[in-house]
Amino acid sequence: MQQHKDMNDQQYNGKSVLVIGGGVGGIRATLDLAESGRNVVLIDKSYAIGGLMTQLDRTFPTNNCDLCTVSPHLSESGRQQHMDVMPMTTLENLTGGSPDFTATLVTQPRYIDINKCTACGECAKRYPDWVRFTPGLDPRAPTCMRYPQATPYAFSIDMDKVTDIKKLQNICKANAILPDDKAVTKKQSVASVVLSVGADVFDSTCLDNYGAGNYENVVTGLQYERIMSASGPFQGDLARVSDRKRPKKVAWIQCAGSRGINSKRDVPYCSSVCCMYALKEAMVTKERFAKEIETTIFYMDMRTFGKDYENYFDRAQNEYGIRMVRSRPHSLVEDAQTKNLTVTYAQEEEPQCHTESFDMVVLSTGFRIGEETKDLAGRLGIELNRHHFAQSDTFNPVQTSKAGVYVCGVFESPKDIPETMVQASAAASMAATNLPAIVTDQAEKEKFLPERNVSQEPEKIGVFVCDCGFDIGGVIDVQKIVEYAGTNPDVAVAQAVGYGCSSESMAHIEKQIKDHQLNRVVIAGCSPRTHETKFQDLLRRAGLNKYLVEMVNLRDQNTWAHMDAPKEALKKAIKLVQIGISGVRRSRPLLDNTLPMSQNALVIGGGVTGMNAALMLAKQGIQVYLVERAPALGGLARSIQKTIEGGDVGAYMDDLIKRTMAHENIQVLTRSIIVDHAGIPGLFTTGIQTGLRMTYLKIEHAVTILATGALPNRPDEYLLGLNENVMTQIDLDTLIEDDTDKIQGMNQVVMIQCAGSREPGNPNCSRICCQTAIKNALRIKKTNPDADIFILYRDIRTYGFQEDYYREARNLGIKFIRYKASQKPEVKDSAGELSVKTHDFILGQPIEIAADCIALSTGFIADDETTEDLSMMFHLPRTRDHYFLEDHVKLRPVDMSVRGFFIAGTAHSPQSIRESVNQAQAAAGRAVTLLAKKEINLGAAHARVDSTKCASCLICVRACPFDIPFINAEGYSQIDPDKCHGCGTCAADCPAKAIQLLSFEDDQIMAKLDGLFERYN
Amino acid sequence: MNNFEPEIVAFCCHYCAYTAADMAGSKRIFYPPNVKIIRVPCTGKVDAIHILKALEKGADGVYVAGCLEGDCHFKNGNTRAKHRVTYVQKYLNDLGWETQRVAMMNMSAGMGERFAGTAREFTEQIRQLGPNPIKIAARNPKEQAAI
Repeated sequence: MQQHKDMNDQQYNGKSVLVIGGGVGGIRATLDLAESGRNVVLIDKSYAIGGLMTQLDRTFPTNNCDLCTVSPHLSESGRQQHMDVMPMTTLENLTGGSPDFTATLVTQPRYIDINKCTACGECAKRYPDWVRFTPGLDPRAPTCMRYPQATPYAFSIDMDKVTDIKKLQNICKANAILPDDKAVTKKQSVASVVLSVGADVFDSTCLDNYGAGNYENVVTGLQYERIMSASGPFQGDLARVSDRKRPKKVAWIQCAGSRGINSKRDVPYCSSVCCMYALKEAMVTKERFAKEIETTIFYMDMRTFGKDYENYFDRAQNEYGIRMVRSRPHSLVEDAQTKNLTVTYAQEEEPQCHTESFDMVVLSTGFRIGEETKDLAGRLGIELNRHHFAQSDTFNPVQTSKAGVYVCGVFESPKDIPETMVQASAAASMAATNLPAIVTDQAEKEKFLPERNVSQEPEKIGVFVCDCGFDIGGVIDVQKIVEYAGTNPDVAVAQAVGYGCSSESMAHIEKQIKDHQLNRVVIAGCSPRTHETKFQDLLRRAGLNKYLVEMVNLRDQNTWAHMDAPKEALKKAIKLVQIGISGVRRSRPLLDNTLPMSQNALVIGGGVTGMNAALMLAKQGIQVYLVERAPALGGLARSIQKTIEGGDVGAYMDDLIKRTMAHENIQVLTRSIIVDHAGIPGLFTTGIQTGLRMTYLKIEHAVTILATGALPNRPDEYLLGLNENVMTQIDLDTLIEDDTDKIQGMNQVVMIQCAGSREPGNPNCSRICCQTAIKNALRIKKTNPDADIFILYRDIRTYGFQEDYYREARNLGIKFIRYKASQKPEVKDSAGELSVKTHDFILGQPIEIAADCIALSTGFIADDETTEDLSMMFHLPRTRDHYFLEDHVKLRPVDMSVRGFFIAGTAHSPQSIRESVNQAQAAAGRAVTLLAKKEINLGAAHARVDSTKCASCLICVRACPFDIPFINAEGYSQIDPDKCHGCGTCAADCPAKAIQLLSFEDDQIMAKLDGLFERYN
Repeated sequence: MNNFEPEIVAFCCHYCAYTAADMAGSKRIFYPPNVKIIRVPCTGKVDAIHILKALEKGADGVYVAGCLEGDCHFKNGNTRAKHRVTYVQKYLNDLGWETQRVAMMNMSAGMGERFAGTAREFTEQIRQLGPNPIKIAARNPKEQAAI
């Protein structure tokens, strides 16, 4: 917030990237850009950033509240220099062209000075109708957005509803109410624009057959999330809206308003996320509330096509016992007395209708583009597709129809959070290419005073106690704490400082340190999680080492939590302050470890993903080594002719290879393999054997992008390899392109889906096969309209806009016949005559189809050998089915757990070319954020071994979760500070106490205990 | 002993339990002020000695609170901490102390309610057990001699 003000002056001198929309995608894009040294302005029409994700209770597939994982990053963003967050702001217009746009931004009045607001909440408590705080069903913030830095942690006033502004002004202790606040219009010079505006959630009230909006116990998926959420209307207790009773039977109805043909209320596309969220909600219902709650999902096709999502589906059915019913229910009827709901539905295998009663029904509603977004698109001059989503390039999904304007997230197409994160990083990466990075000037670093050497000085402690307005001072008497602190003989200064984090108080504290030559500082106020870095910076400015400050959490862990018992709260506060004083006595100046960072990148794999990543990096001046095992670049995409959208893959690949080979910053190493590896993030050395002679080459690089791809699966079934007319979809793709005569001669073609996928051995969905089959079927129909095509499937997973092609295929008479995993089709070869036997659920009997060609949708299988070799060499984790495992499946989908490693393309999970390009751009963008640091800061909290005490017992070697300690040549344990993660496990396990974790040393912890129980130490 | 107010030390990991405690505060979920938190980077850092020293210095109860099992920021620090807590419990048992004076808790960063709930339950449990035997011994030298 502070920086909002500070940034304005310098921001407008230079050009920025404008990010529109502050949901998770927009935040990710903004952070990536800022971290890579670009000025960035994030605008959001709402009064707080966070978007849709902040309303979710938990997220799939971890069923965790994952926002807690992203919030520390946001907290760090509070310190990011190059970003300016502008809530309540919209784009009025955009003039000029790439890379010289001018944006006119209008900020609506908040009527609150966010630099003064402490978010104490008094205004909202007294006048809830006048004050806006949070989205959703309830006026309380979703739990996780209570991180002060996650949003502007401030309220806003709904002036239309305020009847007496004076009353509001009187209640605000911080004097933050601005009754005369006005809308502000600003011109912003912009190099590129990232659109991350998301989409609206479908308003299901038009679905009268489901009684949405009329029946109290019919809710949407999002409403159900809010009901389960701890910050929701029932405080996290699952209850029916009608009687506040816990439901015993809950049903989900999928595709409510999606995949429909009624153009008045349905959209034709698939919203891509609803299957997963329904499974999640059903699982969480059982997990958190009661196993006995019966959960039923009515679905059309179960679309769990993402990475490891099929496992999630299996778990939902087998471990949680969630009942799956394949049907789109016709209608719902409410019982007037019980408010229960009767669902009427039919199933394809049975002729009769069923009725069943449920306590609660959840409609799995999807995404819609709202009018506001359509208007925005008009003002920007970008084209929309027929579903009103942003039209984007086939081979560059973040590129809109207008140069310099990029799109990510749901506005590009319906997608879940991980894919949004990928696209956000990709869009940021593309946007960054229009704007050179700002070189951090050395002067800024050097403005700090040199650190004073305090090692010979006796402890001279300054204690500063914040009253934080009512938040601390209103519960306990701050003066009493100050008096108490002053009785410590080595406390030279003890003062109350009002709002300690205000710039005024910060300046005062700095002066006190200098005037009194203090050498230890205690700040008693809010949580170190949010404010420690701020006060560490203050110490640096005052000429002290930043590790000589200790924060005492008087607010979050005392006055807020014990407001009901002020006397006890004061007692506890005094004890906490003493813990702080005793602890800070034992603190020592520490050095952050830094090393200069290499500016090279290693990209492993020269397919479509690797080349795109290499080009993105090379464009930004990074020297790239592109290593490919095969004799030529291209990978698997070379054997594909067309995309489902009709894009010419061959032409695209030729161009891509030409550009890669020609780029001066890319060194292409074909016939090359990785043989050894060492170093730390930012400074790796990797050995490569290259060329026919296997020449050994050592390269130094800061980052590594893994783009090693996956293998086309060739399962040993359905006579594949035994009859030339049984082929994979890739073979068929080539045939369609090269042998028109053969295609025209085909009377009947049978395609079998999930061949070698979604079964033991390769349990996940290969994601691309449904679209590939439909693509090839449509192409056959074009060449040979009379051909009869049968697609035997388990679930059709044409997510997003691919649904259009599925519909087109059905309209063209392509027959889709479902089969069960337990009753797979059988392929027969009777003297060269091929036929397929399968069970037909509608007829209720087996049928046999003669086939001129059988195409198997075989999908992908992980390149086990390669991923195993590389994961051993680089210490990287893999999934159970041998793909690389990213650091965080939800929020860091292309980052690996080892810093400096990134993952993209089919080495991550099965995906299309378009999706691979996205991940390549994202991985390159994430790599650039690391490279932009130019130096490696390793922090100070690392484990240090006292070799005089070490008995080389190997306990630390075994205890370390990251395999860092080793026994060195002298026979003692050695822990590389550059590699240590700083958890302290080795220090705790060391029987000789030869290991200390710096900044958390044993004597510091003991001193804190002394402070609590004995006071002096 | 009617107005016995236990003194409780909670070693909380930075990434989960400490954050959960902040969360409890920001949601104004009240819990007894008896609990005093000492922040550690990971519960894996909490040594058996730290727990025992806290008891020796006069804590009536000590608990270690880390991330949910399987969700440790440092992979498995919390399971190591659990083993150490179990070890201390055995040790207390040998000394004739109540093993319930030490405990391991797990919670995610967002679980403010869980933090407050465990703080409440643990405080109540220690209140039932009464003061740390060392404190009684110190107060009653005769009684000590009698043993």
